[in-house]
Amino acid sequence: MARGSPTFLDRLLHVDRRLIFLFVALSVTVPILVPLGLPVSTTAPTQAAYDYIESLRPGDYVWLSFDYGPSSAPENDPMAEGFMRHCLSKDLKVIVCALYPLGGLGLANNSMARVAAEFPNKQYGVDYINLGYKDGAEAVMRTLGANIADAFPTDVNGRNLSEFPMFGATPSKREDGMVVGHTLGIKSIKEVKVVFTAATGLIGEYWITLVNSQFGTPVIIGPTAVSAPKYYAFLSSGQLKGMLGGMKGAAEYEQLLIKNRPDLAELYGATKLFTATKGMDAQTGIHLVIILFILIGNVAFFLFRMREAKEGGR
Amino acid sequence: MNIQPGIVILWIFFGVLPIVGFLLGLRAPAMRRQVPLVLAFLAGIIPILSIYIPKVFLADPDIGMSPRLDKYLIIVAGFALPLGIVNVIQNSSRRAARREKGWPYSVVLLFGLFVTGALGIYGAVTGEGIGFRQDGTSTPFKWIEDNAFRPLQATIFALLAVFMASAAFRAFRARNTEATILLIAGVLVMMGRVPLLEFLTAPFPGLQPAAAQGSRTLGLLTEWIMNVPNSAAQAGIIIGAALGAAAMAIRVILGIERSYLGLEKGE
Amino acid sequence: MTDPIGTWLAALLTLAVLSFLYRDNPVFRTAESLFAGVSLGYYVGIVLDQTLRPNLIEPLATDFAKNNDLLIAGVLGALLYMRYVPRVGWVARYGLAVYVAYYIGVEFTRKIHGEVLPQMGRTIQPLDQGWSFQSVWAFLNSPGLLALMAIVGTYSVLIYFFFSREQGPVTQRVSRVGIWFLMVSFGAAFGFTVMGRVALLIGRINFLIYDWIYPTFGVVT
Repeated sequence: MARGSPTFLDRLLHVDRRLIFLFVALSVTVPILVPLGLPVSTTAPTQAAYDYIESLRPGDYVWLSFDYGPSSAPENDPMAEGFMRHCLSKDLKVIVCALYPLGGLGLANNSMARVAAEFPNKQYGVDYINLGYKDGAEAVMRTLGANIADAFPTDVNGRNLSEFPMFGATPSKREDGMVVGHTLGIKSIKEVKVVFTAATGLIGEYWITLVNSQFGTPVIIGPTAVSAPKYYAFLSSGQLKGMLGGMKGAAEYEQLLIKNRPDLAELYGATKLFTATKGMDAQTGIHLVIILFILIGNVAFFLFRMREAKEGGR
Repeated sequence: MNIQPGIVILWIFFGVLPIVGFLLGLRAPAMRRQVPLVLAFLAGIIPILSIYIPKVFLADPDIGMSPRLDKYLIIVAGFALPLGIVNVIQNSSRRAARREKGWPYSVVLLFGLFVTGALGIYGAVTGEGIGFRQDGTSTPFKWIEDNAFRPLQATIFALLAVFMASAAFRAFRARNTEATILLIAGVLVMMGRVPLLEFLTAPFPGLQPAAAQGSRTLGLLTEWIMNVPNSAAQAGIIIGAALGAAAMAIRVILGIERSYLGLEKGE
Repeated sequence: MTDPIGTWLAALLTLAVLSFLYRDNPVFRTAESLFAGVSLGYYVGIVLDQTLRPNLIEPLATDFAKNNDLLIAGVLGALLYMRYVPRVGWVARYGLAVYVAYYIGVEFTRKIHGEVLPQMGRTIQPLDQGWSFQSVWAFLNSPGLLALMAIVGTYSVLIYFFFSREQGPVTQRVSRVGIWFLMVSFGAAFGFTVMGRVALLIGRINFLIYDWIYPTFGVVT
């Protein structure tokens, strides 16, 4: 450490963290106020997820699990909603549940309300349903393999599952009388064509290592960026059909929807909702700031070491 | 009475056995330790056996022991989740009553707990629920969830973003080979996941195509890092941790590990 | 702003938490305590309304003959609370034993079947799957190299974990390689973590600007 008055180098090495906070705040706020509309490239795991859902046929059942809470909603909300929009626009039947205790239920309710409002011709209980929250994720998943109604006897509002055509023995008819796909409701998760888990913690992993391994249901995961690196191992081993890694993955998925599905392009263009694509500008800003900080920190560190060596040599 | 064989066995294991254990435990304190270990063995072994012995009494989706036990454990997990609340109420009310340091915060905590909890109980008991009402309006529980619980949780976690920037500045230094590898991988991935070059060259339209090409290459390199070395290392971590957890599972099921019951080894 | 009171409450709570960035202060502490309280109250609501009512109480109330065995689950769950009752606290162990051992039994199959076997399987594959030396990029993506990297990376990391105490000359070198793989992975994870954490901050600032400030001051976007 320098003796006497602090030099520029000392000040640089011990900069007040509040100055760093200020830079972070600016680099996030400015791009939100003045969007740049930077391009978003597509990565293979997102493309694989998108292609898999594209390969499903109208009437197929898909499962969407809200396995995250408000602590990661800006990352996971756009994925879950993108998936729901994609499926509803393809006439797939969407079953929604929440297994994350600390707030998954509210996010599922809100996302479903938002997306359902965008598809007024889709009917609750026929095209989509919200089964609500359940405790004990692993026990729930094992029960789903035997009998969905044993894990979720009612929907989120306490109505018996057998009241709904998606789970009853009556043909799945829409209001216009058209029979869509399956005429029988489903019984177990084995009949579901894909589980999409928007996840922040371990629950997302359970879908892969329990449901996929033991019941064979294909799984796509939308993890937070923090846990995404781990899931590359599950992608490599073929246990996952695809992945939307963090806000970037969600933005990629939004771009694929905008490019390939005109109905959704209109929706994403018109919406004033918060989307992952909008968040990517701010992400770019902050990445630049952090990389600069790391560079400055290292240059200062090397200069400091050189000075130490010099002083030590004297 | 439901007299399917699997369910009868469950009644004996988890209904009769605890009652007998309780009665014996009142007389002989040693039984207070033995019976839970037997229960643990039975509860742990049933889901494993159901994979190997797919007989009706054990694995049938409707009347088998294992799926039935799965169903029970959803309910037990429901009881377990709010277990800590009793403790928190005890501690916080004591702190408030004795006017210990920081007691007003305990009052705030109890206020939040009782208001939210009471609204939740109200919703569950009246059947109004805790989400949207029939007419699309929010229940009071959901109002608190949306306007207090959600912003608080989200913002507390958002603080981490800011601290991470200052941690990156202080900790991310090329001190030795390992730290340098970490640093290079980190910076490459940070550059490869966002259109950084396009951002930097935004004022110079002429440079945009080159920037786009550069971003694409960085993106592919990032994906390679994630898919190849990262994925291999993660597989190592996953296997290592899983083997540890599996060994621990065997210790618990066989009653060797019993500290979770508040018992010492050999007790 | 459809619900001005709610939005104002949410905005003020957001600012209260953000005030911690300047320094620890009573406003932040209050918000933090409120969060702890509301979270616990939230558990009460979701557990009662979403799990215990539909899965336990209603099945018992509507069809007791068919569902009476659910009483077992209800009693085992309630037993967990006996720990707070003096003198018979030991009865809570009966519930706890079933609860912990069941989940750990499920965990056992999940770990072996869903993690160890598939991840091991990936490291058992032939190395002569085709090597390309036309360009660096082609080499990096040749199937043979990918197979080799999976084997070297996975096992060197495992060797680092399992032989961290007693290291001979060979395990020491292999462990070193394992550390390098881990460092690449941790570095990459840091890059991802920045993204994840920042996303949360983006979400909050987006809320403050577009849901609170702009509507309050009548700014049209």
